[in-house]
Amino acid sequence: MGVFVFLPLVLPLTALPIARLAEQHLHPRATTRLLTLLAAVLGLCSTLCLGLLVVVGTAQLPGNPLPDGWSDPEVRAAVPFAEVAGAAAIPLLAAALTVGATTLRRHHRIRARTHRALDALPAGTDPAVLPDDAPYAYAVPAAPARPGRPARPGRIAVSRGMLERLDEDEVRALFAHEHAHLTCRHHRSLLAVRLAGCVNPLLLPLRSAVAFATERWADEEAARVVGDRRLTARAVGRAALIQRSAAPVELAHFAGPEPGPVPRRVAALLGPVPPARPWPPALTPAGLAALVAAAGTAASALCALNAAVALFVVLKAATPL
Amino acid sequence: MGGKPFGRPPGGAGKPGRAAPEAQECGAGGPEHTRRRGQGQLEAQVLAALHRAPGPAGAGWVRERLGGDLAYTTVMTILSRLHAKQAVTRERSGRAYLWSPAADEAGLAALRMRRVLDGEPDRDAVLTSFVSALSAQDEQLLRALLDRAADEDSGTDEARGG
Repeated sequence: MGVFVFLPLVLPLTALPIARLAEQHLHPRATTRLLTLLAAVLGLCSTLCLGLLVVVGTAQLPGNPLPDGWSDPEVRAAVPFAEVAGAAAIPLLAAALTVGATTLRRHHRIRARTHRALDALPAGTDPAVLPDDAPYAYAVPAAPARPGRPARPGRIAVSRGMLERLDEDEVRALFAHEHAHLTCRHHRSLLAVRLAGCVNPLLLPLRSAVAFATERWADEEAARVVGDRRLTARAVGRAALIQRSAAPVELAHFAGPEPGPVPRRVAALLGPVPPARPWPPALTPAGLAALVAAAGTAASALCALNAAVALFVVLKAATPL
Repeated sequence: MGGKPFGRPPGGAGKPGRAAPEAQECGAGGPEHTRRRGQGQLEAQVLAALHRAPGPAGAGWVRERLGGDLAYTTVMTILSRLHAKQAVTRERSGRAYLWSPAADEAGLAALRMRRVLDGEPDRDAVLTSFVSALSAQDEQLLRALLDRAADEDSGTDEARGG
């Protein structure tokens, strides 16, 4: 398999240019789908290759349960720097899987706790309006049935503090936005990208890109449903200002050199409708970046497959029958 | 005491045993999850009953309103649990307590929701918020954007009117 086994670990770098450019050149729906797909494939290939290196590395450890033949020189010759790479891969894969499992567990715990909190309000009364002066509005993703509890549909939780300070039309835009999050299943994309970032830190920048793209997608859906982009922009902007005035001591919030997500969303809504194309035009920077990302992802998949098959053949030859 | 009728629940007479509330709550004695869900429903029922009360009510009154098939201790257990969650308040009246709702079911939900929001710093990854936090710079930029949009709106309105 040679050096190919290492490529999927670094090929996620090819996805970074398109993550930055997609926001300006694609419809948020296309951005979300493209970046989620890239993150999922690149994350899976990177984990697969790490797994292959772990097999080679584990076979060299004294007292391992793998067949003795798997530590033969022929197997080690298949991977460059087999000893160092194999030994390094074990803690890396362990860390990646631990962080991924923790993230998944936390996701399920927060979802379950929120559903339990909302259980006091009957499921028919959606959106759940909570008598709380703090202004907030959340989309709570649906939870599938588990042994011991029924499936719960996705819900919208909004505080009275938020509803009272927005006018009727703005509230309509808010509900349309949260409803779009639920019907378009944005939490799945968000979770997939999050897990990809856990298994390969090079994919971390895709997290914020997809988070922003899903918000923009929900904004566009809301604007379509209420039929007024300016109204939607006003609802987003005013809700953010209301939240800020309610919690003025947000010291931890770091102001970067670029505008934050909310002003960018409002500016995008005040601008024209984004083009519905699924792919940027070929001869633009965004088009080239998308091509690089697609090529990188394809190469990553091929390398992972090649390495897996190669190792399988080598190990099969080394296993005494 | 041998003359007692059969089939009487252990919690029904005089001083009830410790197992009584559990046995009552889970009805047919189902598995753990049925009991837990049953508790949540009972809490909601007790809260609803307190809401319909003309004023602070005793546990006996609540028990009657719920149909009287619950043990007194069960009602007390639920009321104490609601009190621990700050969903009801109580005042002493002679040897007993009088209970009144601190908040309704929605208040209970809001209380729990706040606990999730305050206790889970990483919640934004699961619960998609309508808007994220603003920095001071963002706030200025946002106000400028909204003001400009409002000006343009009034501009087009005037144009249409004239």
